[in-house]
Amino acid sequence: MKKILRVNMTDRSYKFEDVPEAYRTLGGRGLTSTIVYDEVTPTINPLGPYNKLVFAPGIVTGTAASTSGRISAGAKSPLTGGIKESNAGSQFPQDLARMGLHAIIIEGYPKDDKYWVMHIKWDKAAGEPKVNFLPADAYVGRGLYDVFPELFKRFGEKVSIAGTGIAGERRYLNSGIVYNDIDGRPSRYSGRGGLGAVMASKGLKFIVTDRAGSPAVPLQDKAIFEEGRKKLVDALRNHPITKPGGGLNTLGTAVLVNIINEAGGFPTRNFREGQFEGAANISGEMMAQYVKERGGGRMGHPCHPGCIIQCSNIIPKEDGSELVSVIEYETTWAFGANCGIDSLDVIGELTRMTNDFGMDTIEMGGTIAVAMEAGLAEFGDGKRAIALMEEVGKGTPLGRLLGNGATLAGKALGVIRVPSVKGQNMPAYEPRAIKGIGVTYATSPMGADHTAGYTIAPENLSSGGQSDPLSVEGKADLSRAFQETTAFIDSSGHCLFIAFAILDIPSGFEGVMQECNGVLGTNWTVDDAVRYGTEILKKERAFNFGAGFSEKDDRLPEFMSYEKLPPHNVTFDIPDEELDSVFGKM
Amino acid sequence: MITVEVWLYGALARYGGDEDKGAYAHLYLDLPAGSVMADLLRRLEIPAQERGVTFINSVLSAMAGLQPDLEHQLADQDRVGIFPVISALPYHDRATAAMTPEMRAALERPEASPIHNALSGGTESPFERNTPQ
Repeated sequence: MKKILRVNMTDRSYKFEDVPEAYRTLGGRGLTSTIVYDEVTPTINPLGPYNKLVFAPGIVTGTAASTSGRISAGAKSPLTGGIKESNAGSQFPQDLARMGLHAIIIEGYPKDDKYWVMHIKWDKAAGEPKVNFLPADAYVGRGLYDVFPELFKRFGEKVSIAGTGIAGERRYLNSGIVYNDIDGRPSRYSGRGGLGAVMASKGLKFIVTDRAGSPAVPLQDKAIFEEGRKKLVDALRNHPITKPGGGLNTLGTAVLVNIINEAGGFPTRNFREGQFEGAANISGEMMAQYVKERGGGRMGHPCHPGCIIQCSNIIPKEDGSELVSVIEYETTWAFGANCGIDSLDVIGELTRMTNDFGMDTIEMGGTIAVAMEAGLAEFGDGKRAIALMEEVGKGTPLGRLLGNGATLAGKALGVIRVPSVKGQNMPAYEPRAIKGIGVTYATSPMGADHTAGYTIAPENLSSGGQSDPLSVEGKADLSRAFQETTAFIDSSGHCLFIAFAILDIPSGFEGVMQECNGVLGTNWTVDDAVRYGTEILKKERAFNFGAGFSEKDDRLPEFMSYEKLPPHNVTFDIPDEELDSVFGKM
Repeated sequence: MITVEVWLYGALARYGGDEDKGAYAHLYLDLPAGSVMADLLRRLEIPAQERGVTFINSVLSAMAGLQPDLEHQLADQDRVGIFPVISALPYHDRATAAMTPEMRAALERPEASPIHNALSGGTESPFERNTPQ
């Protein structure tokens, strides 16, 4: 029987609660957003006593379903001031699911400044996990690369870790929740939205899970699950982007660098241009060449056990020793093109530092770009960028300013060109060149977020009244459909990159629904994915409105309406009414 | 004569001759005035089935298995970026990125379907279709 683990950090008490019927079919983002909506007053201070941090594995996470080791972390975000779901891939959610944990809710507030490790270990005799709190003093104020090996030594090589770094300890608005990768590195992140600071505000430094001896995740209908699992595996294994030896596997997510750059939508030098002359040097193709020529690294590294796509990587230094894992598309862009830097070695160093401090690379790169805009460094000056990162790590006054994200840095440094929505810096798709994603940046309850609109139900487009994606109205319809389906995938426990395969191979999408039916005993079809996503988005938006947001916050930064972006020389010209229709017509 | 700037990415870099840098090739190609995309591909000896996403001056002109740009006339100073079939444009970009009228028309053909890429293409599809409808 699944349980919800509720932890009160005021006195470090905990209880296992039955899963309410209304939460039974929810997982991942659907569950974290629903619990935050149900239990957190929208107007509270996100770093104060009344916020709650929720972890939830996806619906099929922990089963044999491929590419499904995704965790959702949710809370009120200190960065955006709205609701946040921040998603990552790691073994951690697989451990939670195997131990029967539907969700963990962290609430309360410590009476002192002490930090704790919460150790969750499967107790076979009791048939439920055992929870222990241990002092975390020894780990405070230190880099995560330093601390993680000690945690594995102390708790065992096979445990999983979720935690917060010095960024969270300092309550940086840019602080992520870190998870270990398959080799124990602190490199998988619920990066966006400052949730590391929320975790730290509860006095919780690490959660360590030990699932040894736990039973398999129960299935309601094994046959249907198995049928669906095979369909998805077939789709993933046959699609040129997702298959072993395919685009994502051989070049990583940075397979997109050259493509988006050629499309003129690769934000360059703090969103001044849409094409970067050094893009080829920071691309997935170049990473693969580093691995091949330098040795010691690896392309095709999984972020969690059971992934077919395996789009992560280990990038080597010139001498073949490890520079960093992982440099993602967004990361190589954030520290690369967005800062005018065309060296993977510099990008790798900045990435390692960001992982070490416990931060989001997208927000960090965006913040350095804003600092460059303000004259703290020249665009392209990698040495100076590393020096600025060092300040962030040391916590100097300038470092603290930069640790609080691009929006705050822009205000403090007098920069107008700050590409943020709801306080969150944009990722690596230029909304003036690729307007559809601009609509999603503007309207997503998460703030500027590329993952909010990654996939779409095939039926949604092909059923009657199909919209022309180039028409203004079509873009709003498209964005709504994207956001709805994506909210479902984020709840299923699957990685969003299955989208490439399941959009082109519809049986793959059916397979995802069948897997869910097999776990839950439901009879969902693809239409239900949209319905499910709609309900999540409505709750998230209602939370944001309760927190003080309105339609007027669903806008891109003003400069994008009058600064023309080369090479297409376009502005963002989607009218406000159309942006409003994304949710207005939901 | 016209001069066209060509970027060949990933596995296609090997068709870039002396400019093959491994990860990419960047070359300037002199072609007779009036040359079309097919002429450029012939000159570089890139087999049609190896060509995927293609941009002409940052405008999408082809995708794997969908190559409506073969007769597209090139102009002096054009920039052409060519990718192998394993590189893809995510659908959320594919839908609203700039594309040539021929590409738009090709995508709007019923057999292309709104979320098409090469998997529903015909004989020119470089990879096999794997699932029955």
